[in-house]
Amino acid sequence: MAEARPTGTDTAGGPGRVLVALYGVFALATTSRAAVQLATQFDRAPLAYLLSALAAVVYVVATVGLVRGGRPGRRTATIACAVELAGVLIVGALSLADPAAFPDETVWSGFGRGYFYVPLVLPVLGLLWLRSLAAQNSPPPKSPPPPKSPPSP
Amino acid sequence: MSTGLVVPATVAAAVVAALGLLSTALRRRIGMAHLTATGVLELLLVVQAVVAGAGLAGGHRPAELATFVAYLGSVVLLPVAGYLWARTEPTRWAGTVLAVAAAAVGVMLWRLLQLWEVTGG
Repeated sequence: MAEARPTGTDTAGGPGRVLVALYGVFALATTSRAAVQLATQFDRAPLAYLLSALAAVVYVVATVGLVRGGRPGRRTATIACAVELAGVLIVGALSLADPAAFPDETVWSGFGRGYFYVPLVLPVLGLLWLRSLAAQNSPPPKSPPPPKSPPSP
Repeated sequence: MSTGLVVPATVAAAVVAALGLLSTALRRRIGMAHLTATGVLELLLVVQAVVAGAGLAGGHRPAELATFVAYLGSVVLLPVAGYLWARTEPTRWAGTVLAVAAAAVGVMLWRLLQLWEVTGG
């Protein structure tokens, strides 16, 4: 992927390269798992398997965002990491509160315990990494820092 | 597919992971030791894939055949992909990239063995 360097030097270099490796592994694992589940036994647990598919999409999007880098790549990856964090927390809590709704394990069940809790740690690492990049990339603040205009409704 | 191959392959994966983490800790790039260890791991994985393929051809049918074949293929590709992705990294983080791939291989090996032993009749 040497050709990705010009655009991805920010997000996919140094520690970012480790994140891409982790996200890549999870994108591969969850995509193939969701594909098998949806293709062969969808009726058994539709909710759980659709969540597996959603998780797979999120991991793929995060991987692509990190590899591409630049401002759009970072934004994509940030959104994907945030969705992933929300997903693992919500699904993790629900799967413990109402196990009957999740008869089969998903990546995010029990806060990702089937995957050594990596799904819980990964979005946090991703968001921290993206935040540190944003801090590096923003121009040094003039004194006083410009006031942020509130988002218009 | 047997513990006779899974155990040595897991040891090889652990060695690759340890070397990777060591080079990160020492702030060094990956070198000849990493290439050799990854090569040994890859060799064991290819042997295992051939053995498992022969078993499948001989009529052994894991209950989750599709998952098993997907795992078998992925586990062979992972060290190669991990090494290529690490090789172009000029910082000490290359070793950790390799360690991630090796750790994934280690986990997948035991999952493969599980899948292999459950035959759904």
